[in-house]
Amino acid sequence: MAQDYSEYLAINVLNEQQVVSYRTLSRALKVHVNLAKQMLYDFHRKQNAKKPSSVHATYLITGTRVAQSTSKTNGIYSQDGEDTVMRSSPPIPGSSPTKQTGDSGEDEDIPTRSVLLVRQEHLEKATATFEHIAGKHVYSLQPGSLSDIQVLSDCNRRIVSTYAAEDPLVAWKQYGTIQDPNVKRRTQGQRPPPPVAPPAAKSAVGSKPAATAGKPATLERQASRASDVSISSAKATPEPNGTANAKKSAASKPPATKRQSSDIFKSFAKGGSKAKKETPDTSAAPSPALVPVADEPMGGMSDDDADDTVEDAEVEVRAGSGKLRKDRQAELEAMMDAEDEPMDDTAESGIDSRTEPGPKQQVEAAEELAETMTVENGRRRGRRRVMKKKTVKDEEGYLVTKEEAVWESFSEDEPAPKKAKMAPVPAVAKSGAAAKKAGNPGQGNIMSFFGKK
Amino acid sequence: MAETTFRTLITAFTDFLTVAIHTILWERSIYPKTSFLSARKYNFPVKQNRHPKVCEWINDAVTAVESELLKGRVHSVGVVIFTKDSKPLERFVFDVSRFPDVPVDDLDTLLQSGDADEPQSILPVVEMEEQFRATLSKLTASRTSLGPAPEGCTFTVAIELKPDALAPVSHPQPWIPAQVADDENDGATARHPTAKTTPLRAIKAGEMKFEAWIEEAGSDAADG
Repeated sequence: MAQDYSEYLAINVLNEQQVVSYRTLSRALKVHVNLAKQMLYDFHRKQNAKKPSSVHATYLITGTRVAQSTSKTNGIYSQDGEDTVMRSSPPIPGSSPTKQTGDSGEDEDIPTRSVLLVRQEHLEKATATFEHIAGKHVYSLQPGSLSDIQVLSDCNRRIVSTYAAEDPLVAWKQYGTIQDPNVKRRTQGQRPPPPVAPPAAKSAVGSKPAATAGKPATLERQASRASDVSISSAKATPEPNGTANAKKSAASKPPATKRQSSDIFKSFAKGGSKAKKETPDTSAAPSPALVPVADEPMGGMSDDDADDTVEDAEVEVRAGSGKLRKDRQAELEAMMDAEDEPMDDTAESGIDSRTEPGPKQQVEAAEELAETMTVENGRRRGRRRVMKKKTVKDEEGYLVTKEEAVWESFSEDEPAPKKAKMAPVPAVAKSGAAAKKAGNPGQGNIMSFFGKK
Repeated sequence: MAETTFRTLITAFTDFLTVAIHTILWERSIYPKTSFLSARKYNFPVKQNRHPKVCEWINDAVTAVESELLKGRVHSVGVVIFTKDSKPLERFVFDVSRFPDVPVDDLDTLLQSGDADEPQSILPVVEMEEQFRATLSKLTASRTSLGPAPEGCTFTVAIELKPDALAPVSHPQPWIPAQVADDENDGATARHPTAKTTPLRAIKAGEMKFEAWIEEAGSDAADG
């Protein structure tokens, strides 16, 4: 074993002039990484004893640094070519001590663990900046001093490409990689169809899965804002929700879009369907599903259009889905009542509970699909949608004025005769509504009007 | 790659040449290191100069090389480092004489391997990138073997023409014919006595065949 590594290192570092990191050595010789680090150190010492400066080393120092005030230039990266400060994992709220290598001068002495890669010539200087060193070892060996420390990244790339065939779950014991004991290999192998599918499906059939993808993606997005998880997880989640709620039509997507742009619209305090501007501002990366589909209603609408006609057009655009504007509004309102502030769990559960009424409303709305109007004896009556303003006090104390469509039944006279001439109709037919009586004379009035001509 | 023409081959080479020139500038500290930014090419970290004039100059030079390569006149391309006194210090040579000889009309014709039995790829991208990476890595490592360059060096790009090729004289003239004493443009015989030649790598990926080495001028005793 001793011979192997000297030979290997001699060939690679000296003859071929390559950079050898401890990881490459461990993979090549199939040894534990700690052993590899020792091998590197040994080789380095011996070679430099034989011929000084034939082999250069890069070291990795871990520990707590003395408060940095000088050596940080632009924050995290110092590109002065000397030391490359490697970032430890980014801070996850509520997690453990390992934080990012500090920007200088924390006021409260937060213990900051730093991981630093240094070249051998800077080793003393770097160790001086450490208050307490948890570990120090040789990271790599190279024939000459590295001008560009990023060349070290190539070592890892080579490892990945050369040793990709090894199963990490088996190999970790040998190499000493850190392994989570609870991890297990996924058997399914089928990645859930991402919500990118929706743009292709503008038809009613496709719009349904799209909607489901869009909606849960939105919910996830809200959750993810709180926990700072990347949006890619949001894309992954549509899969479990994808099969559920197939009833939700594509029209739920506009509320999803509105949700995303609701932050802007709160300031306009209008019903979301009115002021639709597509600005993917708040969410980190609006899922591509929403953006192209939401462009569709965009094109059809302008801010000042009459509500009903436009909404109807939009509904048709949605391929005649059963979802009504009222329901969309209701859902939107439900979602808008939750915040744009960083969400917490209560808000999240609030949304979940509120979307429950959503499907119910949809069901009942399906019955009253269209505005109905009947003309009976000159009297219009029926149900129609009317925009009504509603001012609501939000959870946070904000007054939110929303317009929402409300069904109301109406009956009114035909326009021509203003005087509701309660004609001397025999009061016999009382069962027929009083309107009927009025209707007859009205009709008669009109006809007489035309009759004159 | 099914769609390799001679032009794409040359383009791949000139891309590599651009990166190599930037790397040489970095390694030899021709420009201050702060003027470089890190980039990645062929999945490898490289340094690229930020100054617009430098980039422009390099791009123009490489374009001129490319036009000569397309005409098939070039024997080798060299990046020469001069000292402050305009004496050549070292030269990074890329010998491209082994590129296929393609007449001007056929620049955009698809190339096909002549070996009918084994249809080889003309330009196997993965291998080629691997070899480019290795070459760049060796270039960066060359710093140790060459020793530090003195202050105030400058550089240029030179091409050596094939013996039967016409000199590129056109208007506007991108190339300046160098004097014989400066050992360019006139064949290998008029070369400065070189003290040391360090081979870098011989690239062979499909039809992309060239060799790279470093020559150091004789008068300079560069330590290894």
